Amino acid sequence: MKARLNLIWPPILLGALFLLAWQALVVIQDLKPYLLPAPSLIFTTFTSNLNLMVETGIYTATTAALGLVFGTLVGILLAMVAQRFFVFRNLMIPIAAGIAAVPIVALTPILNNMFDITSRTPRVLITAIVVFFPIFVNVYRGLTAVPPVQLELLRSLSATPRTVLRVLRIPNALPFFFTGLKVAAPLAVIAALVAEYFGGPQEGLGSKIAASAANTAYGRAWAYVVVAIIVGLAFYLITLALERVATPWAGRTRSA
Amino acid sequence: MSEFAVHAEGVWKIFNEGAANEVTALSDVSLDVRKGEFVSLIGPSGCGKSTLLRVIADLTSASRGTVEVAGMTPQKAREDHQYGIAFQQAALLDWRTVRRNVELPLELAGWDKAKRRARALELLDMVQLHDFAESRPWELSGGMQQRVAIARSLATDPEILLMDEPFGALDEMTRERMQNELLRIAGATNTSVIFVTHSIPEAVYLSNRVVVMSPRPGRITHVVDVPLGDRNEDTRESDAFFEAVTAVREALRGRAKPVGEGGARLAETS
Repeated sequence: MKARLNLIWPPILLGALFLLAWQALVVIQDLKPYLLPAPSLIFTTFTSNLNLMVETGIYTATTAALGLVFGTLVGILLAMVAQRFFVFRNLMIPIAAGIAAVPIVALTPILNNMFDITSRTPRVLITAIVVFFPIFVNVYRGLTAVPPVQLELLRSLSATPRTVLRVLRIPNALPFFFTGLKVAAPLAVIAALVAEYFGGPQEGLGSKIAASAANTAYGRAWAYVVVAIIVGLAFYLITLALERVATPWAGRTRSA
Repeated sequence: MSEFAVHAEGVWKIFNEGAANEVTALSDVSLDVRKGEFVSLIGPSGCGKSTLLRVIADLTSASRGTVEVAGMTPQKAREDHQYGIAFQQAALLDWRTVRRNVELPLELAGWDKAKRRARALELLDMVQLHDFAESRPWELSGGMQQRVAIARSLATDPEILLMDEPFGALDEMTRERMQNELLRIAGATNTSVIFVTHSIPEAVYLSNRVVVMSPRPGRITHVVDVPLGDRNEDTRESDAFFEAVTAVREALRGRAKPVGEGGARLAETS
């Protein structure tokens, strides 16, 4: 317990010192909010607009979560297909890399035109595209990077490919999956936010940050940035918790 | 039913046959292992001892020749769970408890849960790891992990145990203890064992017969009978033991005349 506390305090202290220095800089240098608003201003804007902040945060979090789930499912599915069917393997990996290279910023307006202007769908799709790649790559690796000796063992036991998948490949892939998910989850929030930034319904953190900045409400813009950070962190922490529950055996070698 | 646990005759294994990088791993190998017999395969790297074991286990197929395992084709024997196998690595699944690792072959053979559990605990008793049934594999030492792997290989009560340098990664003391345990278990269950090793004393201590192999191409050059009777700690220091060790060593150096027809049909002695 004490060791845990010792782990928790240093970052908190560092964060507090950083905010203090920031505040001091703004006050002493008399910086205007459009250059850099003081933490105190961001904080008061945040608390006095709390309902709106929470509402906006939840809207973006929902978009990110939908995209995350959709992209993850497609990533897992295609990784399994690529592992199982040799023909698809050499086909799928370049396609996956191609999807990773999709310029989502440029794609957003195009997708916005394809769907209803009030629709959340283009944002979810963009998030899913971003999420897909880290999930696909990691799950594929987890399914295929199986120790040969364990494959031989299962062959000696006359296991069918399906059984090998169930007792060996999937459990083996779980830690890899979570490594991918830890990258993908905060990325999903960023992707959803960026997608909101480029048109569509005037809801969500991306739209609000853009609108606040355009209206010179810099305190509010920064307050939304804080909300975005909180949502991203929440996504990461939820993933971390899921990982602990789902892969207790991997605890020894787990990455952050 | 065949009188032999394993019967191999004129077995060839050629990798990349017909290609420029063709390798003859086994050249006209014949070997019979009687039921309940303990036979070691020894030889330098590349002599085909592991390949022979893998052919018997149907992890790879022979290019030519006949192989019978428990009186059937290797494939049938594998599908019938006629043999258990242990490798140099314990190859335990980290996400399963020790008990559930031992249960794996039973699970794949379709045993129900309660029977599986009872059998696994019985086997863990036998390898003296009963207290570790609910531990995770990585919480165990190398020797303990290897004992779990042996328990797993015995799960379906196979007629034949195939072992590919199972004690290769263990320290000398653990290794000797494991050898005694293996002999005890194999004796108690009347299992035939084919044991691949690099160690001459290990081969001599464990086996009724030591099959000496030689590389390029992989073949059997000698079969050394080891008439040492029941083994115990004194065996390792007995004159007969050292004589057998010397005989195997000479055979490995290619200086000895082929010895020991005793049940084994000797391949060529080139």
